[in-house]
Amino acid sequence: MTAANTEGAADIAAAAPDPDEAQRAIEYCYEQGWSDGLPLVPVSKPLLDQFLATTDKDPEEIIGSLEQVGRDVNVYLAAINAAMAGCKPEYFPVVLAAFEALMRERAARGGGFQSTSGPSPLIVVNGPIRKELGFNTAGGAFGPGFRPNATIPRAIGLLVRNGFGIHPHVLEQATQGLPGRWQVCVAENEEESPWEPLAENGGVTGGVSAVTATLTRTMEFVDNRHTPNHEDVLRDFQDTISRIGSQIFPLSSVALVLCPEHAQMFASAGMSKADVQNWLLERCGRTGAELTSMGKAEVNRKGFRGEYDGDEAFHKFLAGPTSIPVIVAGAKNAAISMVVRIFGEWSGTSVPVVEK
Amino acid sequence: MPNAILDPTGTATTSTGTSSTGKQAAPRAPRPVSLQGKRVGLLINTKNNARPFLEEVGRLLEDRYDVTLTQRTKVNFAVPEPENVIKELIAENDVIITGVGDCGSCSAAAAADGVVLESAGVPVAAIITESFIPTADAMAALRGAPGYKYATTAHPVAVLTEDKVKERAAQVLDDVVALLVEPEKVEE
Repeated sequence: MTAANTEGAADIAAAAPDPDEAQRAIEYCYEQGWSDGLPLVPVSKPLLDQFLATTDKDPEEIIGSLEQVGRDVNVYLAAINAAMAGCKPEYFPVVLAAFEALMRERAARGGGFQSTSGPSPLIVVNGPIRKELGFNTAGGAFGPGFRPNATIPRAIGLLVRNGFGIHPHVLEQATQGLPGRWQVCVAENEEESPWEPLAENGGVTGGVSAVTATLTRTMEFVDNRHTPNHEDVLRDFQDTISRIGSQIFPLSSVALVLCPEHAQMFASAGMSKADVQNWLLERCGRTGAELTSMGKAEVNRKGFRGEYDGDEAFHKFLAGPTSIPVIVAGAKNAAISMVVRIFGEWSGTSVPVVEK
Repeated sequence: MPNAILDPTGTATTSTGTSSTGKQAAPRAPRPVSLQGKRVGLLINTKNNARPFLEEVGRLLEDRYDVTLTQRTKVNFAVPEPENVIKELIAENDVIITGVGDCGSCSAAAAADGVVLESAGVPVAAIITESFIPTADAMAALRGAPGYKYATTAHPVAVLTEDKVKERAAQVLDDVVALLVEPEKVEE
């Protein structure tokens, strides 16, 4: 060891955390039943205070209630769970906006977190906050690898577990759940999107940072880099969206997470976001006979809003623009997009991020 | 002294990791000695086959005890009934049968409705499928009624044929009756 290293040893010892103590603290958190299965950041009062300092909200303010389980979540609990999830304090306003957006969903308030379908939020972030906090706005949009994208949805999951007390096998009854549960937070690739950001469709205009959230059941890719004809590509989306397996009610919803290449192809053909939505709204669906042949007679007989026009009739699956929110995300390096199955329906609103 | 590790639940936790809200224990309604001539409310949760299942239970009770049936569908299968509906249910019925809890939220809601109605003085038989015993138990405990008793039937119910539904209803009938009455003890 050189003299310089010897002199520096004391400083290094002071600066480097004690791994044995850290491990004990992590194990303590596991023992309390707080974890989603992965290690948690043990939260102390000084760390909590850093989170609370990022918002003007009163720590006691209730930001979500689940009447059926008799539990409320306040800002204080949200901050602890966000810190435990690995968020940085400056992410906390985004966590608060994401939770508010999610709790606007009828399905989230009405027993979704207890459901056998085991849904998980799709969280979408828009505006300058994406760059400020270092969100991934490019390739690998669904993760992992980027702290805000990874820890913010985890914070929401921990809040549902700990704040609402909804634990797997107890009040949470997911049959299988879905891959990526509590892990999906997409920062829209606004720079390469030809259209307005999702937040604008959700009512937050002027480029203000905002979060949108909806519950989802899974997703499926559409890889179509095989044709210059945009209508061929739209038909490929139509085919995937029109699956019967996910059809459990007369109407359903999907989020279309388009890669920049697909989005730009549609835009180059003169299509607005609304044009793409309308094209698909008109065409996604199946005949009554097809539904019946797969044992989904009840789904159609119960009514497509009360109107079952017989086996030969074509039954549209999507009700309107809020049944098919369109987001642009990922890298412009291949024509690969994602159809995300929404659980219930999107509230159609976005929540501004309020920084102190 | 090191900083404490903060609790993210906002409640005291038990060894099972579930939390208690610290509410007072919910009372259980007094039972009639028999269902003879009683008003029986069927609270149907709208899940597939819930209606024929409960209607068959009701029909069998009519035959056996000459009961009068009322019928109502839940406002939302996933959550407990609102207060105004609970009030009407109490006014209209001597006992209530609800179900079929065959999903995560609706089995818990069946237990929750049961506990609320019991507190208001009406005996309830909630019927859930066996897969959802843990969640019904957890919900009952949350509502201040740990150990709350309900009837179970095998899972699934939603995909049964009409005949099978009737068979199941007949099978669960004795358990439903046992939940709703308290026969007079014979002095020895």
